[in-house]
Amino acid sequence: MLWMILANARQRRARAIMTVAGVAVGVGTLFALLAVSAGMESALEREIEGLGAHILLLPEGCPYTLTLALMQGTDTLEYIPQDMVPEFTRAENVRLAVPVVVGRVRLGGEQVSVYGATDGLFTVKDWEGTGFSGAVVGSDVAARLKLAPGQSISLELYETVTVEIAHILPRSGGRDDTFVFVPLPTAQTLLGLSGRLSAVLVQTTDVARTAPTRFALSRMANVQAVPPSDVFDMLVTLFGSIKSTLILVTGIAIVVGVLTTMNTMMMAAYERKKDIGLIRAVGATRMDVFRMFMVESLGVSLVSGVLGVALGYAATHLLPRTSGFGLQSSPAFSLGYVALCLVVAAAVGSISGIYPAVLAARTQPIKALREL
Amino acid sequence: MRLDLSKVWKAYGEGASQFWALRDVSLTIDDAPMIAVLGPSGSGKSTLLHLLGFLDTPTRGSILLDGTSVEGLSDRELSLVRRNRIGFVFQQYHLNESLTTLQNVMVPLELARVRDRRTVAARVLDQVGLASKLGSYPSELSGGEQQRVAIARALANAPELILADEPTGNLDSTTGANILELLLGMNREKGIAVVLVTHDEAVARSCDVQIQVRDGRVL
Repeated sequence: MLWMILANARQRRARAIMTVAGVAVGVGTLFALLAVSAGMESALEREIEGLGAHILLLPEGCPYTLTLALMQGTDTLEYIPQDMVPEFTRAENVRLAVPVVVGRVRLGGEQVSVYGATDGLFTVKDWEGTGFSGAVVGSDVAARLKLAPGQSISLELYETVTVEIAHILPRSGGRDDTFVFVPLPTAQTLLGLSGRLSAVLVQTTDVARTAPTRFALSRMANVQAVPPSDVFDMLVTLFGSIKSTLILVTGIAIVVGVLTTMNTMMMAAYERKKDIGLIRAVGATRMDVFRMFMVESLGVSLVSGVLGVALGYAATHLLPRTSGFGLQSSPAFSLGYVALCLVVAAAVGSISGIYPAVLAARTQPIKALREL
Repeated sequence: MRLDLSKVWKAYGEGASQFWALRDVSLTIDDAPMIAVLGPSGSGKSTLLHLLGFLDTPTRGSILLDGTSVEGLSDRELSLVRRNRIGFVFQQYHLNESLTTLQNVMVPLELARVRDRRTVAARVLDQVGLASKLGSYPSELSGGEQQRVAIARALANAPELILADEPTGNLDSTTGANILELLLGMNREKGIAVVLVTHDEAVARSCDVQIQVRDGRVL
């Protein structure tokens, strides 16, 4: 039966191609959206975990904006007084408090993010070594500006500071690849933020008792204590609402696909009235005709589905790697998404095929033949 | 195959525009005859053919297939009778333009899910003298060749009855004679009953039985 359907489709090649393209665009958009948003969520999770803190101490203000600024390496514009650090360290269950300052500076004519911290950062980030013996440079910055260990670099903003590169970090795929890490006083001088901090990363001794420690810390003045997981949940929720809107738009594209396919199949039922009448005359049952139309509609949709997945896959590679929230993220693909897209395509085929197939099956051979 | 039409009436339209295409027709087809149905245009010849081929149902009266009334048969059952026992040949050939000669003949075989459909179709096309045209499309064939393809399609499922609606009407006299010869051969050699609608007296004379239809009545 397939050869009969293919012969019919060949007869209207341009229209078949248009229909396939129409559905493929919708399915492709869905696939790209799923892959990109999954990549985005995992990048967000990775970055939050990459902070290395059980509790994040932030200046007063919106904690999400401040966390994002910290992850992106831009000035937080609100600060914690540095002289509070001993107070944090003395709090119960606090094992380590690492003061941090971040901001954008110029290096060799380009903008880079600088991340100043005390040696405790090596423990928090689980890096080799015990502390700063110069600048630690992220792999992307090193590759972009052709930097190597032992080389001296001049960082400029309020002051110009020259530091020697001690170490180039191995590629992590995360935001750390884009930072130049320097000792806290160096960064403060550079950014003109003496005595001020963007955040403090806190690690607790007993992780299970993090919550009471957080409450104790948040009672201190000029500071808010936030668990990174809360920030993650909030950002995922925020991202989820954007994603819902995008899925709605994709849904509209898919509904358009259904209507396009239905239109094609309706036209086919009408134009092929003669052929349908004929095959009914030579013994095709209504079910045979119904099946032929459904197979054609499903076939068109599944071809569109496969093409859509390929298109979506290609499209995700054209998107910039730095997407929402300024985070480094690459799309996350899974067979589940491929399956979902093919199921959606099959649903498009079934829904759009049923009515035209019923119409075609209802063709009375005698009427069709009399119209010939 | 035995077909009995008993007091069959067929009307088209309703109310004031109702038109009786067939009136009180009784007819029996048995023992593989070659029947010519003659009559002027609009006399009801084609309607009669459609009723014999289960493409349409009578308004009144009954049709018996092998002694059993077809009145209660479902659309599916009627389709199966057409598929397995009857072959149709039309004046305009009515081939699917997007299919090759071989594929056109394979359609009824495909519907009947016959194995080796390709081989069977090629054999039937060989019988009608088209073995060399298997891959040709209808547009590449002459009228006579297209009608041969249509006859091959009608023969594909080894029918007991062929219904031919003016099969030579669009052909020149020589080609028409060849087609008629082909149908006669099928009747004589294979024992297939043929009902042939024609305007042509000469064609009618070569058949065993002539039926005249006038104003919906069989004379």
